This record gives sequence, C-alpha cells and structure tokens, in this order.
Amino acid sequence: MNPQQPPAPAVQSSAAGPATWPDGSQPVVPGAADGAPAIRTEGLTKVYRGNWSLKTAVGLDRLDLEVRRGEVFGYLGPNGAGKTTTLKILTGLLKPSSGRAWLMGEPIDSIQSRRSLGFLPEQPYFYDHLTGVEYLEFAASLSGLPGREAARAARHWFGRIGLGGRDRLVLRKYSKGMLQRLGLGAALVHSPRLVILDEPMSGLDPFGRRDVRDLILEQRELGTTVMLSSHILPDVEMLCDRVAIVLKGRLERVATVSDLVHGGSRSVEVRVEGAPVVELPAAWQGRVARVERSGESVFTVSDPSLLQDVLARLVQSGAVIGAVTPVRGSLEELFMAAAEESAFRASGRRRSA
Amino acid sequence: MTAVLIARNTFREAIRDRVLAGVVGAGAALLLLTVIARPLAMGEGTRITVDLGLSAISFLGLLVVLMVGTNLVAKEIERRTIFNLLSRPIPRPVYLVGKWAGFAGALWAVAMALGVALWAVVAVLGQPGLGLAIAEAVFLAGLELSVITAIAVMFSAISTPVLSSLYTLGLFAAGQWSDDLRRFAERAPGAMRPMLDVIANLVPNLSLFNMRSLAASGDTAPVLQLGVAVVYALLYCACVLAIGAAAFESRDFK
Repeated sequence: MNPQQPPAPAVQSSAAGPATWPDGSQPVVPGAADGAPAIRTEGLTKVYRGNWSLKTAVGLDRLDLEVRRGEVFGYLGPNGAGKTTTLKILTGLLKPSSGRAWLMGEPIDSIQSRRSLGFLPEQPYFYDHLTGVEYLEFAASLSGLPGREAARAARHWFGRIGLGGRDRLVLRKYSKGMLQRLGLGAALVHSPRLVILDEPMSGLDPFGRRDVRDLILEQRELGTTVMLSSHILPDVEMLCDRVAIVLKGRLERVATVSDLVHGGSRSVEVRVEGAPVVELPAAWQGRVARVERSGESVFTVSDPSLLQDVLARLVQSGAVIGAVTPVRGSLEELFMAAAEESAFRASGRRRSA
Repeated sequence: MTAVLIARNTFREAIRDRVLAGVVGAGAALLLLTVIARPLAMGEGTRITVDLGLSAISFLGLLVVLMVGTNLVAKEIERRTIFNLLSRPIPRPVYLVGKWAGFAGALWAVAMALGVALWAVVAVLGQPGLGLAIAEAVFLAGLELSVITAIAVMFSAISTPVLSSLYTLGLFAAGQWSDDLRRFAERAPGAMRPMLDVIANLVPNLSLFNMRSLAASGDTAPVLQLGVAVVYALLYCACVLAIGAAAFESRDFK
C-alpha cells in the first residue's frame, strides 16, 4: 500500500462500483486503492493572502471529510462558505495551505488522482471557436481516451446532453444553459469513476434541471461517485444520499438526507372540517397551534407526544377529523437552522472571549 | 501526447482568430505596396521588396505575439477555460509547452504564408533565384518568433496581459541590440562590467536570427549559422518555459 494513501475508511461504501462500464470495458485506474473512499480530506485548510497586503482570509478551515464510493454526496453552504474552495483544491486548481486529501486513494497533488475524475466548474466557459463535438472530443482525449474512442464518446455525449443536431454551431453562439449542459458532458465524456459538480443546476431551466437530475441518477446507477454543490436544496434532497453543510469554511454537519430531515423537529398537522369550538389547555401553548383555512381548521402539533391528547380532545369536542399528516422538515429549513446555530455559537464564543 | 493535443487546440484557436487573418492581409498589402512603389526605388526595387517583406514578417509576427500571445494563458485564467483543462490529468508544465507550441506553430504558418507570397512577388519581378535566401530568412524569422512566443507565454503565465506585453516588448527590444549590449559591457568600467555581461547574455540574442539584408542581396547564410540559430532557439525556449513552468506550478486559480 502506498504510504501516502489514507487508512481504510471506518464505514465502507454502501454501493459497490460496477464490474464493467456500459461499453463493456473494465474500469482501470492506475494506482487507485480499492476500498479507499472516493474522497478523503484530513485537516484541509486554505488561507488566502492578499497580493499587496498582509491581510488573510480563511477559505477553508481544517476540513475532515469522507465521501464513500458510489454515493451521491451533496455539499451545501451559503455563498463564500468554502464550497468552491474545497472543490478547487480537490481538482488541483488551488493548492491547500495545509492538510491532505485523496481522490480514489491517490493524493491530490498527484496527476493520477485526476485520471478517474470528471469536474464541472461553476458557470463553465469554453473555447469560442470550437464546436460542441470538437470540445467534447478534446476533453475526452485530454482525459486519456484514445483518438477513435474519444470521437465516439464525444458524439454519444453530445446527443446525450440534449445538444444533438447542433453539430456545426460554435460555442460562442451557445446559450448559458447549453454551455452548462456541455460542461456536464465534458465532465462525463471519459466515464470517470468520480464526478465533482459545482452548481450543476445553475443557469438551467426546469427541463434542463430535470435532465441533469436524470444524468446524476444514471451515474449513481453506474456506481459512479458524485459530489455536488448546489443552492437548489430540493434537488439536493432528491438526489443525494448524504449531505455536508459547510459554513464560513468549517464543516458543520454530515448526515444522510433522511437523518437530517427526520432527525429535525417533527410536527404533525391535524385537519378538521369546519371551525369547531375547541378549548385548548394553556399548558399546550406554543406546542399546539390552530389556523383557520378555507373551510377547515388546521391544528399543528409541534410536540408529537401531545398528539394522542389533542386527537382525544378534538373527538370529545365533536370535531370531524379529516386528516392527520406528519410534517417533514425540509432540507432548506434544516440548512437555515444549521446556519443560525453556527451564528449563535460564534456569537457565544465572542461573548465568552 | 497531451502537449500535442493542447498545441493542436491552441493552433486551431489562433488560426481561427481574426487577428491572424488581419495580419496576413496586412502583410499581403505591404508586399503589394512595395511592387507599386517599385519605380521610385531607382533599380533597387527587388532588394527593397525582399527587405520590406521579411521585415513585415518579423514585425507583424511580433505584433501578433504582443496582441494575442501575451494574453494566451491570462485569457484562459480570466475566462476560466483553464479549469476544464487543469482539472484533468495534465501536468502544468505540459500545458504551458502545449500553449507555446500551438501558438508558435500558428506564427510559423503565417511566416511561411507570407514568405511564399514574397517569393511569388519576387519571382514575378524576375528574380526567382532568390527563393533559397528568402526561405532561409523566413526560417530564421520563424525561430525568432518562437523565442519571443516563449517569452510571452512565460510572462502570460505569471503576470497580467498588459505587463506581459510590456515585458515581452522590452526583452524583444533588448534582444535586437544584444550585440551592442555585449560590446558595451566589454568597455564598461570595472564594477558594471560583469553585471552588464550577465544581462547581455540573459536577453535573447535576436540578431542571430536576422539575415534580412543578406537575403535582400541574394546571399544565403552558412549552414553552421542556421544550426547555431536552431540550437540557440531551442535552448532559450526551453529555459524560458522552464522558468515559466516553475512559477506556474504553484499558482492558484481562484
């Protein structure tokens, strides 16, 4: 084992990689350690220094992260949280100030780590003078596909990303959405085992977003590991097995989407026909709320332990119960809660200092 | 192999750039002008056509390097096209060499196109025998442009386009007078002498690539001079690109 390779992960991949790729070939990544996580970082830190001043800014603060093979991993955070910094360090575009990271078991400062990598940068730009197929062929060749195979893959992916029929159009005439699709095609054209996508839904209309979602799900079926950053939380919730929330350069939480969503504060909505007269005890204040809507009353029980009592009281009052619905916390709510929690902790630290 | 791919793409990009088409057009117009002005040359028309034609190749080539070459890497960083390349298994020095080779290749193509046009004009004027001298002079001009391109790529990798243009132009100017600088160093007072000597040897010796006057007279350069020019150009380009690559290696792309 390469001494620079990270130790085996405590939790192994939930989904093993495919035995073969769609074209029947066996994926071979020189030097990649089987069993190593797809992505692993240890104390990864980036400090930006001004060119002409001594001012510094911490872009990323001691990030310890592990992305398992075969999972779709969401990387969330507000603008300036350190998402793009992390992705650029992993893809070799930024040098870390300290810490280490590995892709498929290969240290990121080695060229080998990028052999099985596909990357879509945020708002990608390409060479104006090339056509889409020419660019995809160029991208495939640069990632190591031999000539004919690169040409074949370029043709296949050009159609697959929904740009077929525009073979002769040069890239300077592409719309933003078309460029985004092309960027995704360029990230996937060489059948990588690890794909890193920075805001893949950016600039896309609803149809484009659906296509990208389908592509990501297809990659998951193939056993490809996908790490994506996005601001569009419903998409993340729909696609990702696990998510990490990063705020101000620090990792706040890592959990499965269902753990995050179900582990958050759960409430139950009880819908009652009409507007019955129901007296709620004062002790329930703040835990049971009532709202009148068109032709019905909705009782929101934020403390599930009270549900049986609330239902009993409603029945006693002669109310006709229409529906009892558990309300799932959305990822967005949880994300906002994590941000507020982080801000609260930061203010607490300042006060105690 | 990767360097070849990047070079091919850079070549294609440069060839499709309107600046290059404009330069070829300007060169052709200049040649036409020398033919029209021939009656004023008092019997030296062919010499003037050859001299001006070869000067145009060097000058217009320099113009392209300053306008496009110094922007070669900086533009990729600014437009973020470089993200799509360097996130692939491409060593950064290979990327720089590819950019240099592709752009230098485009300049060679321009130099050859203008050289062929110059020879055609001279042949029409009744001096087809000047072909070999013109070919040699164009070959040396191509080497000179390759050296200047290497300098431009080096600065482009580590500096802004404006500063890269200024530095490249400065080194080009110093390189044109490198022989004079060397002679000046020999006569300089004690303490300045070694310093000037170092500077004279660091700037590119571009006079090595200048045989415009010789070609205008119909003379060819000795094979040894051509050999020395080739070896010098290759070594100089390698050194300059190595410096650029070393600085580029640690650069962050924000």
